[in-house]
Amino acid sequence: MKIFAPQSRRDFLKTASAATLSALAAGFPRAICADEVEKINASADTVIVLWMGGGMAHTETFDPKRYTPFSKGMAPDSFLSTFPSIDTAVDHIKFSQGLEKTGQVMDRGTLIRTYTAGDLGFILHSRHQYQWHTGYAPPQTVAAPHIGAIIARTLGPLNPAVPAFINIGQRFDVGEGEELKAFTTAGFLGSEYGPFNIPFPDQAAETVRPPGGMTPGRFEDRNRFYKRLLAASPIGEAGSDYQKDSLLRSLDNAHRLLSSPAAKAFDLALEPIESIRKYVPGYEPGQRFDAKQDRFGAKYEEQMVGRFGLGCLLARRLAEVGARFIEVSTEYIPFLNWDTHENGHTRVAAMKQQIDSPLSQLVLDLEARGLLNRTLIVLASEFSRDAMIEGKPDKRIKDQVEVPDRVEDSKHYGMHRHFTDAGCVLLFGGGMKRGYLHGLTAEERPCKTLRDRVIIEDLHASLFHALGISPKLAYEIEKRPFYVTRDGEGKVIPELFG
Amino acid sequence: MNPKFSQLIVVLLAASLAPSFAGLTPEQTGQLPPPATHSVNFNKEIKPILEARCISCHGRGKSKGSFRMDTRETMLEGGDSGPAIVLGKSAESYLIELVMGFDPDTVMPQKGTKLTREQVAVLRGWIDQGAPWDAGVSFGKLEPINLLARRPELPPGTDQKANPVDRFLDAYFAAQKIKWPKPVVDRVFARRVYLDVIGLLPPPEELQRFVADRSQDKRAQLVRRLLADQDNYTLHWMTFWNDMLRNDYSGTGYIDGGRRQITQWLYTALENNLPYDRFVAELINPTPEAEGFTKGIVWRGVVNASQTPQMQAAQNISQIFMGVNLKCASCHDSFINDWTLADAYGLAGIYSDEPLEMVHCDKPTGTYAPLRFIYPQLGDINPQAARAERLEQLAKLITHRQDGRLTRTFVNRLWEKFFGRGLIEPVDEMENPAWNVDLLDWLAEDFADQGYDAKKLIERLLTSRAYQLPAVPAEEQTHDDFVFRGPLVRRMSAEQFRDAIGELTGIWYAKPAPRIIHADGATNRFATVRAALVPADELQVALGRPNREQVITVRASAATTLQALELTNGTELANLLQHGAEKILATRNGDSSRVLAETLYQKALGRKPTAAEVRASEAILGQPAQKAGVEDLMWALAMLPEFQLIY
Repeated sequence: MKIFAPQSRRDFLKTASAATLSALAAGFPRAICADEVEKINASADTVIVLWMGGGMAHTETFDPKRYTPFSKGMAPDSFLSTFPSIDTAVDHIKFSQGLEKTGQVMDRGTLIRTYTAGDLGFILHSRHQYQWHTGYAPPQTVAAPHIGAIIARTLGPLNPAVPAFINIGQRFDVGEGEELKAFTTAGFLGSEYGPFNIPFPDQAAETVRPPGGMTPGRFEDRNRFYKRLLAASPIGEAGSDYQKDSLLRSLDNAHRLLSSPAAKAFDLALEPIESIRKYVPGYEPGQRFDAKQDRFGAKYEEQMVGRFGLGCLLARRLAEVGARFIEVSTEYIPFLNWDTHENGHTRVAAMKQQIDSPLSQLVLDLEARGLLNRTLIVLASEFSRDAMIEGKPDKRIKDQVEVPDRVEDSKHYGMHRHFTDAGCVLLFGGGMKRGYLHGLTAEERPCKTLRDRVIIEDLHASLFHALGISPKLAYEIEKRPFYVTRDGEGKVIPELFG
Repeated sequence: MNPKFSQLIVVLLAASLAPSFAGLTPEQTGQLPPPATHSVNFNKEIKPILEARCISCHGRGKSKGSFRMDTRETMLEGGDSGPAIVLGKSAESYLIELVMGFDPDTVMPQKGTKLTREQVAVLRGWIDQGAPWDAGVSFGKLEPINLLARRPELPPGTDQKANPVDRFLDAYFAAQKIKWPKPVVDRVFARRVYLDVIGLLPPPEELQRFVADRSQDKRAQLVRRLLADQDNYTLHWMTFWNDMLRNDYSGTGYIDGGRRQITQWLYTALENNLPYDRFVAELINPTPEAEGFTKGIVWRGVVNASQTPQMQAAQNISQIFMGVNLKCASCHDSFINDWTLADAYGLAGIYSDEPLEMVHCDKPTGTYAPLRFIYPQLGDINPQAARAERLEQLAKLITHRQDGRLTRTFVNRLWEKFFGRGLIEPVDEMENPAWNVDLLDWLAEDFADQGYDAKKLIERLLTSRAYQLPAVPAEEQTHDDFVFRGPLVRRMSAEQFRDAIGELTGIWYAKPAPRIIHADGATNRFATVRAALVPADELQVALGRPNREQVITVRASAATTLQALELTNGTELANLLQHGAEKILATRNGDSSRVLAETLYQKALGRKPTAAEVRASEAILGQPAQKAGVEDLMWALAMLPEFQLIY
């Protein structure tokens, strides 16, 4: 495999046969730097994606519309927002109630209100999430890499002792877990660039510590002992073989990572308690947030507040020691978190409570450490929601949620259908404008995109651009180019950049 | 649809899109470079231009705008917009107008740079001189190689009784001026062959018996004995086929019925050593048990036309059984090979109840491809027949005795597995030439002659002297100037590694994921639950067991940092070693640390430790041996290249 520059199909053909045949046979990537890829001055070194998996309703969060309080018997199409709007630090930008802290840092950020999800038919969240994270709609004939893997592959780690792609907060033994696995992968780029998964951030330290109960001393002894056996083995260090070399190199890398000072960044116990409480209000020392999924458990909300809060704190600590790409998820679980098929109003209130403190604190902390300029925070979701419209106004798809004629029960008060014609993406730092609003949506239903539509290809092109990566960059697999934005067609949105 | 009618649509559609020849204005004529005046040499001056700039769309089976440059005749016929050239009159030739690019919408070639003025001058001179075309030059579709069955003469070799593989290699080595190296010792051979046939390390007692055995043909006997170990053979080869057929116990699509397992069918087929032609026929024209393969993987929602279940079937059948990549051609005429959109739809359509409209890069074309297999040389599909009948025809045609691609592809896959590199590389591009054509062709024929018996083929390969040569260090890339010297050093698969840990620690998986009914009627009769019987856990994933969303024919074997992290501090391996150490200490009957170290070395590496290794091991084990010491010794052994590599 090799990297190559955007070029004409014919030029591609000329080089394809000779150069790639041998590379492919080995099935292992080899990078050939492309001279022709345009040189871009990067404005960011690190990306933190805050993933609102499940469908975050725009009118209930960062694009509030006319507020209608709940009243028994109200018409289901009578409400656009179930919360009043609030002011933010930017005069012309209003948020939905419950996002006060984030509103106070809006002057540091850029808000896109017109993210438009693809038309993939009858909704399966994980298909849209796949598209958001790879730029391609599934299934694909080759395993499409996650953007974190593309970034890891293209730029490498920022600090060699920190995995380049870290994925926090998502388990894979939940509903649609297999589908989530299908895009949480380096795909054809090879597992070197795959995610370092930390489903429970309060256990992050254990992921870089010696295994269960082993003291650091024994860990070092074991490694020294291994080196002795290796030296004594007839197939030890002598002689060069690609398989052997790669095995020994990988073990050395792992050992270096585990014994590096950077590994301390994974240990949240080293964080002052006051600092943790800014991410997880009311946090008590030693408190764990590793309960199994329990949608009816009384402590569910508390657990999720803790997990996402600690996830954001962990992201900050990792960004400080030179992580390249971090994703923190509120966790996608069917019918939980942002996947509000009923009780939308109550659920969204809880979700906003979950994200407001850590999100704003992450921005402030990175700013205080002088890291915000080179760290790009991206808060996004696979699509939005609406009370009435499934899909787009002009491309309706099969409804998944029944809407009653009259809303008698508060469980029907909320945004329960999957709306794909507008949605919010919040960007902070990494060269993005400060206090900027991009895109306009309708004030009345359908609250669709009116101006400056943003699609996934262009959003990705802009993220890549911030990192100095061309949207036309391609990796080669099975002799064909696989572009980092679909068919190399992603277009950078220049208005976003400061 | 009536085929004539569909052809008409093609013509109408193409004509409406085709550039039309308006003739040059006097001003444009003035801008033409003057024609070359020397006598133009077709082979030296014209052919290179056509090859580099025209043929990828107008030759080798492609005919954009219905224009083909295959031969002088088709060139003179022209395309949808009329004749391309007027003999003797280059200024009136449409071809010249197009390559001059007066109209940017119709400039030819459409991509890349324009032809230079010098090139246009030469083309003009050639046309003016009557467009001479050297006899025998054709840019038509090439006859596929490695397609029909072919039986080369078996060379005498230096030893008439030798394995035929070696008789071919005698000549090869002689030509390469390579002397046959000495075969590996028994211990190394046994380790290799155990891992290759049943995916397990040789148990120390069996290994000792084998080494001590004095019989002449003990290596061949061992291969046969392992092939006869039905359960372990089947469990090992399940992994190979699960990767290719995208079969697994969990994965995308299962959540709402968009995918079906074929585990029971596959298990039974391997357990009974179902002849390969029948194996393939049952996958192509399946009973309900085997249907999951051609049903593909369907996620809820709307699927891109190039990934409909029928198209998945077309892609996968071509890749797995014929070594052909139709993926690009599922969307547009391929840029990387000669397959066209019509080829992909012709095959996909066989699986469709309704006529499949061709969709070009997400745009419906309104046209339909005639139903046919990608290699019409092998036979026809009756487009009028019902789907069930068409599948039967397709299965027959692919498994027909004259289809030498089916057998070559399979032989080559096995060769790659055992020798680390195929006779043809990459193994999914069977239109590439083999580095030893006669050897491949002979093995493929022999395989068919032996009743498509995979076990006989494996025996043939593993009893060759070639297989017993010392392992050759692998390089990251395989080069085109590759010279065969012996099997390459390979790395254990995830499943082999996990099973080897099972042998070392005595700790296996708790229970199998599938419910398998064996040939003798027993259910889930497994001595141990091996890695192939469970969904991938973190350890297996880290070591490269793929999620089977795509067809995987060769796994990436390079070690990665994430793998090493999983091995160094992952919970799965740590737990295995802990439980294993407890079990070993509980059952060791007061063995000294020295004896314990020797036992573990025998299990892991199939050899005694040296004095230095004993000393180091005793030190880490403690006296008497401690649990932590046993864990750490087993860990260190398992991390050695001597353990993880197949050499």
